Amino acid sequence: MTALLVRGGRVVDPTQELDANRDLLIRDGRIVQIAEGIAAEGDWDVLEAGGAIVAPGFIDMHVHLREPGAAHKETIATGTAAAVAGGFTAVACMPNTEPALDSPALIAEVLRLARAANLARVYPGAAITRGRAGAELAPYWRLYDAGAIAFSDDGGTVKSARVLRQAAIYARDVPVPFISHCEDDDLKGDAVMNEGARSMQLGLAGSPGLAEDVIVARDLLIALETAKRFHIAHVSTAESVELIRYARGRGAAVTCEVTPHHLILHDDAFERFRADAKVNPPLRAESDAAALRKAVRDGTIDVFATDHAPHAREEKEQLLGDAPVGFSGLETALGAYALAIPDLPLGRFVELLSSNPAAILDLPGGTLAVGAAADITVFADRPWTVDSAKFYSLGKNTPFDGMELPRKAVATIVGGRIVMRDGVVNARS
Amino acid sequence: MPARSLLDLDDFTSDELTYLLNRADAFDRRPPSRNLLAGITVVNLFFEASTRTFVSFAIAESRVGADVVALPPGSSSLGKGETIADTAITLAAMGVRVIVTRHPESGFPYRLAETFEGHVINAGDGRHAHPTQALLDLLTLKAEFGRIEGLRVALVGDILHSRVARSNVIGLKLLGADVVLVGPPTLLPDAMACDGVTIERDLDAILPTLDALVLLRIQRERIAAAVLPSLEDYARNYRLDARRAGRLKRGAIVMHPGPYNRGIELTQDVFAFEGWRYAQQVSHGVPVRMAVLDFLVNGREK
Repeated sequence: MTALLVRGGRVVDPTQELDANRDLLIRDGRIVQIAEGIAAEGDWDVLEAGGAIVAPGFIDMHVHLREPGAAHKETIATGTAAAVAGGFTAVACMPNTEPALDSPALIAEVLRLARAANLARVYPGAAITRGRAGAELAPYWRLYDAGAIAFSDDGGTVKSARVLRQAAIYARDVPVPFISHCEDDDLKGDAVMNEGARSMQLGLAGSPGLAEDVIVARDLLIALETAKRFHIAHVSTAESVELIRYARGRGAAVTCEVTPHHLILHDDAFERFRADAKVNPPLRAESDAAALRKAVRDGTIDVFATDHAPHAREEKEQLLGDAPVGFSGLETALGAYALAIPDLPLGRFVELLSSNPAAILDLPGGTLAVGAAADITVFADRPWTVDSAKFYSLGKNTPFDGMELPRKAVATIVGGRIVMRDGVVNARS
Repeated sequence: MPARSLLDLDDFTSDELTYLLNRADAFDRRPPSRNLLAGITVVNLFFEASTRTFVSFAIAESRVGADVVALPPGSSSLGKGETIADTAITLAAMGVRVIVTRHPESGFPYRLAETFEGHVINAGDGRHAHPTQALLDLLTLKAEFGRIEGLRVALVGDILHSRVARSNVIGLKLLGADVVLVGPPTLLPDAMACDGVTIERDLDAILPTLDALVLLRIQRERIAAAVLPSLEDYARNYRLDARRAGRLKRGAIVMHPGPYNRGIELTQDVFAFEGWRYAQQVSHGVPVRMAVLDFLVNGREK
C-alpha cells in the first residue's frame, strides 16, 4: 500500500490537545506522521483538505442497520455507505434485528456482512436478554468473545428490574457496558408523541417525560448497586440529565448520549399528523431540548449518537398510530449537531463524536496519535440543504428534510483508504 | 389553489364562521330552492360506527341535491394494504368531489386531504376534532342568544378524550365567547389551559355564572384505565342533576353532543329542565352540514 498525505487541514484532536494546521501522513493504514508542511513524494496519494478540519474518525455508537431481518429498511452495506457519507468511520449497531443479536453466530454474521461491505467499521451490540424478550440472560462472555461491544435490549426496556439487576451482577466483569433504552411501556401506553400541551391540542396520545425518568432512575440505581458500567441511550428529558448528575455524584460508572433531533426539534413537529418525526423517545418540549444543550456544554453528556433508525418510505407514510418509530440520521448528523449548538468548541465537538464513544465502548480509534489506525473524518462549515432523496441510506425519511445545516463531512478515511470524498461514497478501491 | 376542506374549525376565519352560521340558519328556515350540489358526487367514508352524524350528513347531502355514496365501516380496502393516498387517488379518479370521513385515529382527514384532489369534511377524527358538531353547537347558541360573543360557555367532563370539546373551544374562541373547561385533572390536565380558556375544577362554584353548559359523554372504560375511580365519584362533582341545573342563571341552556349516558353525566330529570337543548342541537346538524357542503363546493353565495 502506498502512502496517503492529508494536506492543508486544521487538525483537531483532543486526545493530543492538538488544534493546529498540520499535514498528516498515512502508511499501511496507520498514521505515521503529523507535522507542518510534509513534502509529498512521487507515488503518494494526496488529499487536499483545503482548510477543512481533520479529526479522528467519528464513531456513531447508536445505529440500526436492520440486518438480519429487515433488509427492505436498510442493509449493512447501505447503512455503512450512509455512515461514511455522513463522516462516520465506525458505527455500533443495535441488536434489535430479526432475529435479535443474542448469539455468537449472529454477531459473526453481522461482522461478515460488514467486512463484505468494506466501508465503515461495524461494532455490533448484543442483546441483554435472549430474543430481547426480557426474561433470560444472553451469554455475555461468549458474545463478548465474538465481538459484541455492548449489551442492550435497545428499542425497548428490560421490563423486569430483577432480570436487569441479575444481568448486571452476572456481567459486571465483562469489559463492555450495558446500554439502557429507558422507557416505561406502561406509562408510555399507545403514545405516538410527547405528552404535553401539543399532544392534548392535537388529540394524540402522549408519552410523559416521566416514562423515561423512572427507568433512568431505576437503571442508575442498579448501576450504583451492582457496579456494572451503564450507558444511557438517547437521553431526552431535563430530569434524566439531573438524575445522571446525581448518580455520578454518588460514584456510578455511567455515561450517556444525546441525539441531534432531541437537541433541536420539539413536539410541535406533528402539526399535519405525519409520522416523519415519530421517534422513541419522543421529541420533547423546547425546555427539555434546552436542558440537553446545556448538558452537552457542561460535560454531563458524553456522546453525540444519532439513533439512525431507517424505515421504508411506505412504512413511514402510514397513519401516525401505525407508522414505525425512528428515522434516518447518519447523513444529517454532523450538520444537525452544529446547528444545535453553533458555538460548541470544536475540540468538544470532536470529542463527543470520536474519543468519547471510543473510550466508552473500548474501541480502537478516536485518536490521530502516531501509530493509530488511520480513521479520519474531514469536515467543514459549509451550509447545505438536506435532500433525503440523495441519501445512501434506504431510509429516506427525516424531519430535517429541506433544512439548511451549517456543517458537513467532506471526506471519510477508514484504515487509510478514502471511502467518501465530497459526498460520493467509494465502495471498492 | 387546492380545494378547500373542513378539517377543523381553524380552517375558517371568524368572518367565514359567521357566514356559515347565517347560511345554516337560513337553510333551517327555508330549504334551498335549487340543488346546490347538483352533479356533485359525495362519498361518506366512515371507519367508525355513527348514527347521528352519519344520518345527519346523509340528509344534508340529499337536501343539497348531491349524488351520495355511503361506505359503512369496515367496507373500505384501507387496512388491506391500500394506503391513504391510494384511497384518495382511487376516489378522485371516479369523479368523487367530496369525502366526508370519520376515523378512530386523530389526523386521518388531514392525511387524506394531503393527496385527495377534492374537499374533505372531517366528521370526527379520533379524539382530535369534530368541526360540524361544534358548528351545530354554535348555531344552537346563536339561535338561543342571538350572538356568541361574550357568552360564558362551560364544557364539562372528559375534555382530554373529546373531539367535540376541542372543536368547540376553537369555534367559541374565534367568535369571542368566554370558554371554561371543567373536569377532574385526569380528564382535564392543567396543560390544556391556553389563551382565552380557563380551567375550573369546581362546577358548583361557577354554575350561576354560565350562559351555557356543554356536557360530554363519560365512558365506563375510564374506570378500568384508572382514570376515574367510579362513576359515583365523578357524579359527586360533575353530574348535572335538577339541583345543579336549578343553580344556573335564568335563560341558561344545557347541551350534549350525544349519545348521553343517563345517570352518569346527567340525570334523567335534566330532560325536563327548560334549558335542555339536545333536540335543537340534533336538528341544527342538517342545515349546518348543508351550509358546509355548499360553502366548500360553491364558495360564498354570490
